[in-house]
Parts: sequence; structure tokens; C-alpha cells
Amino acid sequence: MLTLLRDLRRLRRDTALPQGRPASIAIRHVDAGSCNGCEHELTLATSPYVDLQRFGLGVVASPRHADVLLVTGPVTTRMREPLLTAYHAMPEPRRVAALGDCALGCNLLGSASELVGAVEELLPVDLRIPGCPPDPERIANALLALLEPS
Amino acid sequence: MSDHRERFALALSDGWRFADLHSTPTEIRTLLVRDDGRTLLERTPHAGSVPTIVDLAPAAGWDEREAHDRDGVRFEGHEPLRPLLDHDLRLDRWTVPVHGHDAHQVAVGPIHAGVIESGHFRFHVVGERILHLDARLFYKHRGLERAAEGRTLDEGLAYAARACGACAAANGIAYALACEDALGLAPTPQLARVRTLLLELERMWSHLNDIAAVCAGVGLAAGNNRFAALTERARRLNAALTGHRFLFGSVRVGGSDLLIERVVVHAAREEVEALREESRSAWRELLFNGSFQDRLPDVGVLDAANARILGAVGPAARAAGVAEDARAAASGLAYDGFAPVVPKRAAGDVRARLEQRALELLQTFEVLERLLEGRIGPADAAPGGVERPIGVGRVESARGATSCVVERDGDRVARLRLRTGSYANWPAVAHAAVGNLLPDFPLINKSFELCYACADR
Repeated sequence: MLTLLRDLRRLRRDTALPQGRPASIAIRHVDAGSCNGCEHELTLATSPYVDLQRFGLGVVASPRHADVLLVTGPVTTRMREPLLTAYHAMPEPRRVAALGDCALGCNLLGSASELVGAVEELLPVDLRIPGCPPDPERIANALLALLEPS
Repeated sequence: MSDHRERFALALSDGWRFADLHSTPTEIRTLLVRDDGRTLLERTPHAGSVPTIVDLAPAAGWDEREAHDRDGVRFEGHEPLRPLLDHDLRLDRWTVPVHGHDAHQVAVGPIHAGVIESGHFRFHVVGERILHLDARLFYKHRGLERAAEGRTLDEGLAYAARACGACAAANGIAYALACEDALGLAPTPQLARVRTLLLELERMWSHLNDIAAVCAGVGLAAGNNRFAALTERARRLNAALTGHRFLFGSVRVGGSDLLIERVVVHAAREEVEALREESRSAWRELLFNGSFQDRLPDVGVLDAANARILGAVGPAARAAGVAEDARAAASGLAYDGFAPVVPKRAAGDVRARLEQRALELLQTFEVLERLLEGRIGPADAAPGGVERPIGVGRVESARGATSCVVERDGDRVARLRLRTGSYANWPAVAHAAVGNLLPDFPLINKSFELCYACADR
């Protein structure tokens, strides 16, 4: 156990993230049509190198428990309704984060008839996390900004 | 137009295997492959209707449904021809009717409970036991193939590669090989080396991730964390070598611009050796974890006979004992002497698929260590081959054989078709789920670890 903790401390020493546990936020992720790159990086934001959970940030199973809707991908026409349903299932106050260049409407690939486009075409976006895809450290840093008192 | 079916049946009896079927507004195109890596593309004009081949090759089921949705082609004898790409609102149009005492449906998705891609599963269950599963994907359909039409062959690469971030190198290289096949270009040994390197770098992080995913699937946090940390290191290695954690921008049609200095290559080789040793030690811990191992056998079985019938590919097929791997006969790549591996106990269950990843990782480390020797410089494909209107490229991605067919109009894309390992294997997931408990589905699904993006395009 001690070895494990020492290993974790060593892994985390080099990441430029704040120390401590300032607050807690529940995140609901919705893939609205991504290439799966953002999902793979978001998954590693919970790996031992970054370990989002230690800051009180966790991905929850239902939008009904969530403070933040974290959306990836250019919104496809087929994911428009499910995305809106998830948003409306969230309690107030709620915030929306757009993860990755596609969610921000940059360099979208695809047929116009299949894409709605950027997340902000549908929902008010509070946090923008650019990158194709943004790496786990960048995702974590951006999400931690939500914990700053505004 | 019955010669489509007759020629296909003849090719099958001649030792060819089904690899792809797709449509254009005027043609049906069927791709067949042989063990030696040769490909055969059959083209048949259609006037809105052709005889089905789904009884001869059940693996063509999804392809025919897609051709119907895309170009309105009817396949005589394929009844009922359910929609695939089209999202028909009527439940009875896309689900298989299940009747009986206490049989009921459980709808899951398109949004799932974790960080998972979007797709809908309609389970037909009695109690907790799954009788049948209808997978309704294509929520992430971006129309990439159509959007690529009219673009230059160089621009078209992004539409194939970015279909899936996790398989960007495999999809991109399959596309580049298809274009080069059409342009009469042959990859030089230098180009073959750099592309093989990219494919194996992708497989390395992917297999490490897939082992972590199975650990997560049974709630073994220690195993998940250990393999997730190794996945992170593998992605950092990608960035150190190519400037991108998912190798985006490393593939080009007709050559490679990748420049990696000797000292960087040397450091990468040392990191690969370290990853090999650490993943071996992490794997040993999994082997001796009884409560973990007890969760794996006899769950989600896909046996060899069904793997062949359904046209399953990649680790999922090899874990069932089907020793087929596109790397063994790859042209334009540097897999000299590569032989597929299968586990000793090729039972086609979750345990066998997990073991298969561990076995393949060893091969990948070996290939990487061989290729990471000396500077990597720009390389080009050599001209001089026969030019043709349609080219074919095939690679083995981390999920299995991926075929790309590119029809060109001069230097522009006329029709792009990308049939990935994930597309081939989704019907096998639905098959493997039958008879299992509903709560085991996430574990079964993770043991295949298919991309939705790769199938949806």
C-alpha cells in the first residue's frame, strides 16, 4: 500500500495541477458524435497520472445527479434529441462544457445533412476545452477551473 | 443480374472469403480476400435490385442493409431487410420479434452510464437472461464517406482517418494503400517501415487500454489503474515520436513526411522495452488474482464456427481459434515473417479475448523493437504500377481486418468505402451476448472493445 502511494505521488509530481481538494462537481459525459479520441483522453483523465477524482470531480451515471454536462463531438442530427433530453434532465443550476475542437465547431468533417454542428448551436456553453483531442492534463485543468469561486 | 450471386458463390468455392460489400447508385461491389492477402473486387451493375448473398456469407448482412439504406438497393431473398443506417421510428421495423412467457425488453442508450460512445441496445430478456440483442448504432453517423466525394485524394485521407480517433493510423493507412493501389504506386521498404511502426504504436496503446477496460468491467480498480497508466505512457510515446498522442497527421497518400532523429528513436526503443517488462509484470498480477480470473471464463462465448459464419475478425476471432490476421500476408507493410497467434485455450469467451490481447502485445513489442532502429526519414511510394479506377487497401487494426475501397475520378475521390474491424465484429457482439446475464453485458462488450465511431462513420 505504501509503495502504491509513493508511486502515485511520483507519477503526479510532474503534472502541473493544483494540490488539495477544493470542492466537488458531478460530471455527466455525452458523446454527441465524436471520433472517440476525446472519450479516450477523458478516460485517462481518471488514470493514476491525473486522477480527477482526487479533486472531487467524478463522472456520474445519470444527468439527474450532474452539475456539468460535458459534451464531445460535432453534434450529429441523430444525437440532437438525446443530448437535449440529457440536458433537460439535469437539475439547476447546471453548466455545459464543450470538450474538443468538434464540440466547438472547428474543422468539422461530415455531410451537412448529418451534422447540427457546434454544441453552442443547441445549448449555452459555459466552458470551452479546445484540442483535437485535448490531452488528459488539459481536460483536468479546464474542468478544475469550474471549481474556482466565480 | 443474377451473375452477382453466381460469381460470388464461385469465388467462395474457389477459396476466397467475403471481405466487404458496398453500393454506388449504379453498382454493387463485393470485395473478396485470400489467405495470401490477394484481393478480388467484383463489380455488378444493379437496376435497384440484386439477389442477396447473405445466405452464402452471413457476414454480408450489415453491408446489404447499409446498401439498401444508402442507395435504395433491394436484395432479393434477404428478408426482412431491416434498416441499419436509417433510424426507423417503428420498433418492429428494426427489432427481431421475441414472444413468450415473461419475455420483455430493456432499452439501453444511446447515452450510457460512463465515458462511453453513443449507441442503442435493445435487449430482449427473461428475468436477467438475454434472449436476443438488437444493436442500433449509427447515432454518430457523420456521413464521412459521402462528404469525401469530390475531394482530392490527399484531402480524402482525413475522412477515413478521422472516422475514428482510436484507429486513425489503421484507417488512414488503409485509405493511403487504396489510393496508391489505384494510382499504380508501390510503397518502398522505408515507407512500409514507418507505416508498420504507426500501426503497431496504435495497437500498443489500444491493447493496453482494452486490458484496462476489462479490469474496469469487473471492478478491479488496481488492474484498471495499472494498465491505464501504461496506456498513458504509450500515448506519450506516440507524441514523442510523431507529435500527436493518437498519431494524427502522420499518414500521407504516396509517402511519409515523418522525421524522427536517431536519438529519439533510441529513447523510444528503451521506453518500449520498459513497457514490455512492466506490462508483463502487471499481467502476472492479473493471472494470480483469483477473484478476477473467476469472472472471465464461459462469459460471452463466440466459438470458432460462429466467428467464421459471422465474419468476425481480429482478436475476437483469434480468441475463438480462427488464426487469421491481415498482418500475415500484408503487402506494402513490414511484417516479414509474421505469424498469427491464438491462445492455448481458444474458448472465445471473455477470458480468451483478454489473453489474446496479452499475447498480441508481446508480438507488437517485438515488431516495434525491430523497427525502432536508426533514424526515420521521409519516404515515398514508387511509381510504375498499373493505374486503375478503383484501389483496395487492407490492414489489421487493433480490432481486426479493415478494408478500404477508393474509387477515383482523376485525382479526386468518387466513392470511399471504409469497412473497419469494428463494423465486422458488432454482429458477433450481439451473438455473444445471447444466453448471458444482462449485468454481464458491459463486460462482454468491453472484451470486444469495438469502436462505435469506426462503424458509424
